[in-house]
Amino acid sequence: MSSAPAREQGVGGRLAQALPYILLLVATVWLWTVADGIEYDARPGELGPSFWPRAALVMMGALSLLQIVTTLFAGAEAGARGVGAQLVTEEDEDDAPRQPVLLLAGIGLTIAYGLVLNTIGFPLATTAFLVAFMYLGGSRSHLAIWASSVVGVLLVTVLLLKVVYVSLPRGAAPFDRVADLITGF
Amino acid sequence: MIDVLTQLGSGFLACLHPLTMLMLVLGIIVGLLVGVLPGLTLVMGVVLFLPFTYKMDVTNAIVLLSAMYVSGTYGGAFTSILFRIPGEPIHVPLLWDGYAMARKGQPARALGWTLIAALVGGLLSAVAMVVLTKPVAQFALSFSSPEYFAILVFGLCSVIALGSGSLANALISLALGLLIASVGTDAIYGAYRFTFDLPILADGIEFLVVMVGAYGVGEVLSRLERGFSSKPLSEAGTTRTELPSFSEVMKVKGMLLRSSVLGHIIGIVPGAGATVASFVAYGVESQFGRRKREMGSGVVEGIVAPQSAATASVGGALIPLLALGIPGSGATAVILGAFMLHGIQPGPQIMASSSAMVYTIFASIFIGIIVMCVLGYFAIRPLVKILDFPESIVSAFVMLFCFVGALAIRSNVTDLWLMIGFGVLGYLFERFRFPIAPLVLGVILGPLAEESFMNSMISFSNDWTVFFTRPIAGTVMALAAVTLLLPIIGMIRGRRSGDPTPGGTSIPAEPAAR
Repeated sequence: MSSAPAREQGVGGRLAQALPYILLLVATVWLWTVADGIEYDARPGELGPSFWPRAALVMMGALSLLQIVTTLFAGAEAGARGVGAQLVTEEDEDDAPRQPVLLLAGIGLTIAYGLVLNTIGFPLATTAFLVAFMYLGGSRSHLAIWASSVVGVLLVTVLLLKVVYVSLPRGAAPFDRVADLITGF
Repeated sequence: MIDVLTQLGSGFLACLHPLTMLMLVLGIIVGLLVGVLPGLTLVMGVVLFLPFTYKMDVTNAIVLLSAMYVSGTYGGAFTSILFRIPGEPIHVPLLWDGYAMARKGQPARALGWTLIAALVGGLLSAVAMVVLTKPVAQFALSFSSPEYFAILVFGLCSVIALGSGSLANALISLALGLLIASVGTDAIYGAYRFTFDLPILADGIEFLVVMVGAYGVGEVLSRLERGFSSKPLSEAGTTRTELPSFSEVMKVKGMLLRSSVLGHIIGIVPGAGATVASFVAYGVESQFGRRKREMGSGVVEGIVAPQSAATASVGGALIPLLALGIPGSGATAVILGAFMLHGIQPGPQIMASSSAMVYTIFASIFIGIIVMCVLGYFAIRPLVKILDFPESIVSAFVMLFCFVGALAIRSNVTDLWLMIGFGVLGYLFERFRFPIAPLVLGVILGPLAEESFMNSMISFSNDWTVFFTRPIAGTVMALAAVTLLLPIIGMIRGRRSGDPTPGGTSIPAEPAAR
């Protein structure tokens, strides 16, 4: 969010600043209707299981509404800030340009990992993810990428399956043989 | 007192068990590495290591995570002083005097003072932790559910008030955390809440999924969007540590003691961690110190104050965790999670029910601080070499640990999907400047707060005034209100003086440039 005062921006800029709060308000209203549907055997004088989440929803909704109004009329940075703001100025702000394509590719890669995990199993899916992610992140040292990915996954798989006994997706046949090979070794 | 010393002695003996010692040293090394690596925060490091402790004995698990916590407050000092890269936000104040001293050709001396500060601050705080935890726990035995609820409210208010961003955003983040914590089967009525007919949600959302996603995946996505643009390293003049003489240390003993006590007290306050301690200690020296006019030009006080306070905050943060079951910082929130994963609820009873474990943890802190300093002295060169690893490779492995963290909880891919979802949420939080800490603490403390609140309501016939009329609960609630009002008062004062920061006076990013 820009720190420029809202009044110096157009309506579009102010609405863009207020958008997260508008979405939060919509989510609050929807979750309130979901909370209406919580079923339990009501007894007189009981607050019920929906009381606590509704209290959180009231807090979230009221603050979102307040922030929408504040952002539209006074700018997103107008409200009170935590005491920590007194301690340090924002010198660490990364000034490198944002590259949404990289971000979307990273999210896409992570989703693809989740989609193939149960099919090709943890060792293969994770190795492929690591290699792809390192290339995506800009690394071009092929040996370092492939060696670190393969060795890293081997070590983690052995550590989890043979030392700390954490169950990992082995994948469907014939991919499950990779996990068997690693654990057998 | 003799009883405490005897149990502490037993704790030291327990720490000498090979596996416990191995976990301790491993935790110290990983904590130092996490501290050195920019982009991998201390809390993230502790979160990512948590899954590997599932099958461990609870004592070893806590020893490992506590060791990471202690050494994470020190490792980032190397890169702050040598390369002007703060591995942790804790070490931003070291840029001002530590790096300035290094620029004057004395990097080894700056590293030596950092080591002494971490050692003295850490040990003094550890002594205070041993002395104070038992009385605090005994006092807490008299608490009932209204008092617990009040303390939890105070903790959550502190997290919000001590943040550096928008107060409203922090409160929204907290509300969202409380909401996420309410997913699943309600503990009092047994009703399903926000489960959307998904069986896995009936068991609730594991806080670890939220933590790993929001802290780990969210941070990696944010850095990926910037193209992993960490600044390249310049050659360090030296990676040697030169310890100050005893007489030099004695000259700053008052300041060392003051900063350590300050760090310890700040550590005790729920929500305030090593970062706040480090900045506050630096700020105190800048405003009241003997050499306040020279701060920022590479003076010893500017190194010793923040480092001793940061390491001293660890002992402070462990007191409310062990005695009350309330985490004093982000890292102790993860350690609380580790206790809960092993079926142990820290709190007043723990000193009676698991005193051997508690004193082993205490002893491990003492040993850990010494091992940390020894490793820091001798292994600084290989430690900083880790910065040669390309950021894309380190980040890919952070993602790997995030996946493992999600999959290891319940061996269910749904947790992986939830973690990815919380990762995107964490990215959006960073993008739109919503703090993550209130969200995470809301998820962890939400169930405890709800249970205390509902039990109070049931026990006192829905009389909500009970939180204000009982002496202890009322006092703590008043403190919580004051804590929350502080930023608002600061904003009003700031507006009057024309400075937008809460108190109206911020420490400049570069005091040396004054």
